[in-house]
Amino acid sequence: MQCKDVEVVLEQEGLAPLPEAARDHVAGCSHCQGLVADLETIISLSVELPAEVEPPARVWVSLRNQLEQEGIIKQPVAVSADERSPGWRSFGNLFRSRAFATAAVGAFLAIAAILQVRGPQEPLASPPSRPNPFGQTAEVLNEQEIDLQNMHLSSTSPVDAALQQNLKQVNEFIADCERHLKAEPQDVLAREYLSDAYQQKAELLSAMMDRGRSVN
Amino acid sequence: MGTRLTGRSITLILATTAVLCSGVAASAASQRTEKHFAVNGRPVVVIQNVADGRIEVKSSKNPEVILVTNQNSNKINFDMEQVGDRIDVTASVLDASAQPQELDTSLQLTVPEETELQLKTENGMIYVEQVRGDMTLESVAGDIHLKDVSGYIIVKTTGSSLVCTQCAGKLEFNSVGGSAQILQPALTNVNLRTTTGNILFDGDFIRTGLYSMRSGKGVVEVRFSGNDSFDLKAQTATGTVDNQAAAFLKPDSHSVRRFASKFTKGFIGTFGAGLAKVELSTFSGTIRILKRD
Repeated sequence: MQCKDVEVVLEQEGLAPLPEAARDHVAGCSHCQGLVADLETIISLSVELPAEVEPPARVWVSLRNQLEQEGIIKQPVAVSADERSPGWRSFGNLFRSRAFATAAVGAFLAIAAILQVRGPQEPLASPPSRPNPFGQTAEVLNEQEIDLQNMHLSSTSPVDAALQQNLKQVNEFIADCERHLKAEPQDVLAREYLSDAYQQKAELLSAMMDRGRSVN
Repeated sequence: MGTRLTGRSITLILATTAVLCSGVAASAASQRTEKHFAVNGRPVVVIQNVADGRIEVKSSKNPEVILVTNQNSNKINFDMEQVGDRIDVTASVLDASAQPQELDTSLQLTVPEETELQLKTENGMIYVEQVRGDMTLESVAGDIHLKDVSGYIIVKTTGSSLVCTQCAGKLEFNSVGGSAQILQPALTNVNLRTTTGNILFDGDFIRTGLYSMRSGKGVVEVRFSGNDSFDLKAQTATGTVDNQAAAFLKPDSHSVRRFASKFTKGFIGTFGAGLAKVELSTFSGTIRILKRD
């Protein structure tokens, strides 16, 4: 028996009791074990769901009339139970059980939830107007940089030269990261590097301003 | 003729005298001071050096801290203070118009083997050898060399580089343009970050150790040995991964690690049982993975 055969058995006959061949297959198949376990969980949880409230008869009448008017359903033709195919009967029986019907709906929701969790971590498309998380930081740092230039530091010491040179390098790197993030806004690694670079720029500007104050 | 010779001789004598006098003046300006601080336990030494010059720290068996300063002028002042086992040394520039060579001051420090250090300089090299204890070392433009040191080592530079030979314990390095070379380490926790510098790690990965090395634009190179055991993740946004040890690395056996995002490219693998964790990353540089012979 293959996995798909087990799925057919589950679909037609529900969980218990599974035929021996299906049990043998499930015993050695982690995929089917997971499927059976999920179904068991759903069924056990469904028992705890509150009982449905039977809708009033007028709701059914109204709904039926609406569907008939739209041609979606026609007057039912009486079909004897014997004329139904065995498969359909078993499928119908399956859903006759309120618990299993609830479980089936639950299963769809569970599968959707599992797919959501196991799916790609990033959204498939970037939000159209995602705000730049570094926008304010960049603005403040750029203002500080302008203030620093206005201090007219004329020192030519190797330390000041090194700080200037490193500030230039950081600015270039920030520009690289921002250019890349414009094309790939969801690139987490690039964001990390940009964040680090802004931090370094802040520290550099702080050090340069301290030196400027102590010199002037 | 005789007059000419006499004139030439006088010129020579005057020139020689001038040279000699300038040498005497220079040697007179060079000042050396030596201070001894007796300590009981593990001392903490804090040096804030605004001068240009080298800070050299070595250890001895004696329970004392010896500080020797050599300065070229009297335009630098050193404030020294001892409170218990804490010794603070702060340099300050007395004359803001002093020329760089006048600020050239070197410090030689001899400390007990077990000493905590906080050293901060701007343009001189920091050299520390055979010291056990936590240390924080900061420099703007002076390189930092560590040899046979252990403890929790924090190194922060702006443009200068770190060379760490036979270091043990934990190491953090953060720099804008500086590079880091880690040679023959026995480090259990390594966190190296530089924006444009290069990183070289040539040594063993300790089992259960954590190693993170990141360079924005530079080369991150790792050379491991056949005895190592580590999980490796190498990732880059726009750079390259040069994996010269692909034949030795298996696909990740633990299957729990993944790249930062779908835009990231790189390599995830395991060497040996994967006991240590190694993470290499660059934004646009190169990651190189090599196995030593």
